[in-house]
Amino acid sequence: MATISEMYDVGWEEMRDKLRKWREDNCRNSEQIVDVGEELISEHASKLGDDVWIIYEQVMIAALDCSRDDLALTCLQELRKQFPDSHRVKRLSGMRLETNTQEKRKISILKAQGKNAEAIRELNEYLEQFVGDQEAWHELSELYINEHDYGKAAFCLEELMMTNPHNHLYCEQYAEVKYTQGGLENLELSRKYFAQALRLNNRNMRALFGLYMSASHIAASPKVSAKVKKDNMKYASWAATQINRAYKLAGRGTKESKCSMKAVEEMLESMQITMS
Amino acid sequence: MPIQLTSQAYCKMVLHAAKYPHSAVNGLLVAEKMKEKKKESHWEPVLCVDCVPLFHGTLALAPMLEVALTLIDTWCKENNYVIVGYYQANEHTKDSRPNQVAEKVAARISENFSEAAIVMVDNSRLRMSCFEPIVHIYDHHENKWKSREVTFDCFEDWSEAQKITSALLEGRSYESLIDFDNHLDDLRNDWTNPVINKSVLDLC
Repeated sequence: MATISEMYDVGWEEMRDKLRKWREDNCRNSEQIVDVGEELISEHASKLGDDVWIIYEQVMIAALDCSRDDLALTCLQELRKQFPDSHRVKRLSGMRLETNTQEKRKISILKAQGKNAEAIRELNEYLEQFVGDQEAWHELSELYINEHDYGKAAFCLEELMMTNPHNHLYCEQYAEVKYTQGGLENLELSRKYFAQALRLNNRNMRALFGLYMSASHIAASPKVSAKVKKDNMKYASWAATQINRAYKLAGRGTKESKCSMKAVEEMLESMQITMS
Repeated sequence: MPIQLTSQAYCKMVLHAAKYPHSAVNGLLVAEKMKEKKKESHWEPVLCVDCVPLFHGTLALAPMLEVALTLIDTWCKENNYVIVGYYQANEHTKDSRPNQVAEKVAARISENFSEAAIVMVDNSRLRMSCFEPIVHIYDHHENKWKSREVTFDCFEDWSEAQKITSALLEGRSYESLIDFDNHLDDLRNDWTNPVINKSVLDLC
């Protein structure tokens, strides 16, 4: 996996300055602080001089936000070593202890009891405090989906996509939610996000099938212009080719999956007919 | 025309629920396409010879369900099967009534097969021994889904079904059960589950 400095072509000074800017502006972008700060600390701690301590504090708080207890502990230990009697460090210690585990346990219990509405409420409250906790956002999106509240599920996934723009799974799930919501506008959005998921990972079969389905439905809609229809038939056709190819590749050598492949070919052909 | 379950159909449903004990799971039930003559005998039960496990986790999203339904429908046509029912196990074991998703899929199935049934698997009674059937069967009457009393008549051969399901649960065959979700993760995973089908046949 690429480092921050490799991905964005920045040196350690820029990373340090970025962290300072975020401190000064009181930014709550915990994910980014964790990414940049963790790398800075592990690779360049010796170069940071006295700045390193305030960076440890900044990263620790951000790490707690993102449920990165391992990182939070590392930072805390360094600070304790350097400032053994500090009130400030004691307060940080306290922050770590009173953290999210109790609330998370409560939410799990509510879910196990089937009390979805309450679990949703608790999760929302939790996320106001720990806004960077990915797992919690994802759990909330799933709860909303199970309650058929697709609008709110989409919102959660939007948060996840914003903080994880390279994650093809969130993109693909967002597309699925939009598709389920229905309507031409949502279908077009879902097609775009299925396509985006494919750009991020061209082997995501759900995204490929999703692209095929959404484009096919758009093309079959009486409400679209001839151009939109033609474009979507092109997308669907491309997706169908890719799907067939993926099945051929998977089916090489096994007799059983040939029936799967044949079923897919036929399905795609029959849908082409309904589209045109 | 009430549905009846073969050992293979019952067993694979239970294995699916056992593989994902903390999630909701669902799937389709298939029967052999009846010849024209037989259709007239209304009292003849519809024998579900097999089931196709579909998803686990979130069941309420449309696109992959549509893909699965279309694909499996095509497969059915090639094998002279017809989709006659839908099964689901809910995430929360206290709740075994069909929900919105179940009703929607069943309605879709009913377009092709008027006597479609919903089978709800009761997770809370899942045990290795399988002494009693852990399913609730619902039929559509007067626009409502009504639960039918589950007797041994709901099975082609209950003692065989019980024996086979119990054996496969103990042998942890559920670990190798493939559902449509697994297939989408890796196309080489075969949702017809030939290996498990063979195990069932060997135990018959």
